[in-house]
Amino acid sequence: MTISKIIEVPYALEIPVGPQHPALHEPVLLKAYADGEEVVRVDIYTGYNHRGIEKLTEKNTFYRNIFIVARVCGICNLVHANCYVRALEELLEKYPNDRARYLRVLAMELERVHSHMLINAVMAEIIGFDSLFMNIMRDREYVMKAKEVLTGNRVLSDYLMVGGVRRDVDSVKKDRLLKLIDRVLPRVKYYRRVFMEDDTLLKRMVGVGVVSKTDALRMSLVGPPARASGVKIDVRSSEKYDAYDEIPFNVVTRKEGDVWARMMVRWDEAIESLNMARYALEHLPSDGNPVPDERRLPRRFPPGEAYTRVEAPRGELTYYVMSDGKPKPYRVKIRTPSFINIINTASVYVGYTVADLPVILVSWDPCISCMERVTVIDPRTGEKRKVPVKELAGGGSRRVSQRYSL
Amino acid sequence: MTSNPADAGEKTSSNNKVIEKGDGYSIIRRSPWIVHFNTGACNGCDIEVLAAITPHYDPERFGVKLAPSIRHGDILIITGAVTKKAAERLKRLYEQMPSPKYVIAVGACAISGGVFHNSYSVLAGADKVVPVDMYVPGCPPRPEAILQGIVKLLEKIGRKEPPPKE
Amino acid sequence: MNGEEHPVVKLLVDKGLIEPSSERVKPNRRIYTFKPERIREIISTMINNLGHDYFYISTVIGTDFPDKKLIRLDYYIVLLPGEETIVLRTWLPRDNPVIDSILDIYPGVLNAECETYDLLGVVFKGNPALKRGFFVPSDLVEKNIYSLRKDSGV
Ligand code: SF4
Repeated sequence: MTISKIIEVPYALEIPVGPQHPALHEPVLLKAYADGEEVVRVDIYTGYNHRGIEKLTEKNTFYRNIFIVARVCGICNLVHANCYVRALEELLEKYPNDRARYLRVLAMELERVHSHMLINAVMAEIIGFDSLFMNIMRDREYVMKAKEVLTGNRVLSDYLMVGGVRRDVDSVKKDRLLKLIDRVLPRVKYYRRVFMEDDTLLKRMVGVGVVSKTDALRMSLVGPPARASGVKIDVRSSEKYDAYDEIPFNVVTRKEGDVWARMMVRWDEAIESLNMARYALEHLPSDGNPVPDERRLPRRFPPGEAYTRVEAPRGELTYYVMSDGKPKPYRVKIRTPSFINIINTASVYVGYTVADLPVILVSWDPCISCMERVTVIDPRTGEKRKVPVKELAGGGSRRVSQRYSL
Repeated sequence: MTSNPADAGEKTSSNNKVIEKGDGYSIIRRSPWIVHFNTGACNGCDIEVLAAITPHYDPERFGVKLAPSIRHGDILIITGAVTKKAAERLKRLYEQMPSPKYVIAVGACAISGGVFHNSYSVLAGADKVVPVDMYVPGCPPRPEAILQGIVKLLEKIGRKEPPPKE
Repeated sequence: MNGEEHPVVKLLVDKGLIEPSSERVKPNRRIYTFKPERIREIISTMINNLGHDYFYISTVIGTDFPDKKLIRLDYYIVLLPGEETIVLRTWLPRDNPVIDSILDIYPGVLNAECETYDLLGVVFKGNPALKRGFFVPSDLVEKNIYSLRKDSGV
């Protein structure tokens, strides 16, 4: 439906969603225009969370940047650090040993599990299934514990360094990790069954927010949303970075392309990831110390460019690093997955009801957005009001984030 | 607390009178409702705030509960470095909260800007924009630390220390 | 990744739209240079030959080179199903960086184009969504500073 449609319909509401949503790392504001219950158009505003990271990386040295890029997104900090560190390793042509590569995969897969569990919990909460939310969050604590045992911290761990990782595992930690994985795996399988069979969940998710395969590619969707529409892209299997060439796993795809399919892909991937984590632990190579000596790392980077890709929990994440021989990078470009998944999908909401809006939004995995519900801020009918939140970004039309619809 | 946003304005003014007398507001100590606002965080702090309100950490033993909207909130939890765009928004949110209101800054970013303090679009810590009562350090702080921050703030309220001036 | 060139890339090279370059972006990603006015032709040739199902534009990266007085624009394109990444590279004059937008034939570049415009000042002709202040705070917009330019001073 086009914009002109709204003007024809006299009873159009504007429903701002957010930006108190702590949604993704760019808090967004969705503005939906509804005709009765039906959403006719959605505008997306962004930029609340622009922290100028790309400029910041040009001002700091290559090594300090590892800590900055890890803070682009706290939920996927390890994959961000991994992507950046691998770009540096490509520049230096200095690669980690096998044990370090396995440990990296282990850490990243644990991160994927906790991220997928989080978004599924949030989905349950959005739908109104609070007890399921609480249960999933409780079991997620085991994964956080496992991450803490492995990397030393629950969330941001700064585990990676050029040429290896920061901490090794010994047999005690290995046993604890295996025990924790054994504890989580049956729970994840159980939740997968709940999402498969529970009527309340199915009623809200099946057939909502359908994206066809062609649309998914045209909108540049990545990660689980793309795989749920039948697009078989997974950087882990195509790029085979770190130890992904040696650890067996399946790329999960689904045909349906609706919200339910996206959530099921996440559960299936979580199960895959737990199996991979166990495999990595059981087959951990012992070819020397995975922790490189920080003082021996080269101080100078040869001029050159590197472009690395990783599969973050939310899809393809890429880093471009260019060095001109100085101690600081010349250019760093970060392309994050959830940003694309959110921004490019404004058209998917059209035709569904207002109540489906948060469900579809969460299904893109915008990090977390359960704190705030959809609120109808001004339920006045009878007129189409012009951008009421103009001042919201700081007053004056020039300051308003770009408004567009697709 | 009544939950009708319509009479929030009225309530605020009458509450202010109570505050001037220096008693009465400590009643929220029994069950403060929290509101969470992300001013430009990396989400590390956000998921820990989220984890802190789940049964594993059980904040409801302190009466702490997530408020459905800012107009019902007593404690505002701020995470993340305050970006210039979010600063205005934060100010408006703070003004919308009914008095008495308290602010907790969670994480290195909300305290001082953290690793982002040098950036052109970041203003720095939350206290540049709104008065902050309690700082919880860490990057990100553990959920236990966040809860401890809340409990410490409740003690402060119990001692009837007035909220900081703007 | 060291294998044959993708057929559509070969076609584009044969048509003279893009030129292979001897440089590589590590790890071993091929670079092709092209003239900025041909961008629409290149992308529509790709769509016509591959359809929307077999490639996607991953990102657009602009880099400022004040000493050369040029801005470099890289289109990173992933060719499915092999997921080979190729780089299409072009150079724009720094004082007037203008290139045609491909938003109408390929909607997925929306965020990349807006971002490059807001942070670097590259104008994508024909993109209705371009506007300053998409990301950067308003004080920079008022001073007309593009933050990722090397001489921006922020
Ligand atoms: S303090 Fe650390 S975890 Fe929290 S928002 Fe800042 S960078 Fe992220």
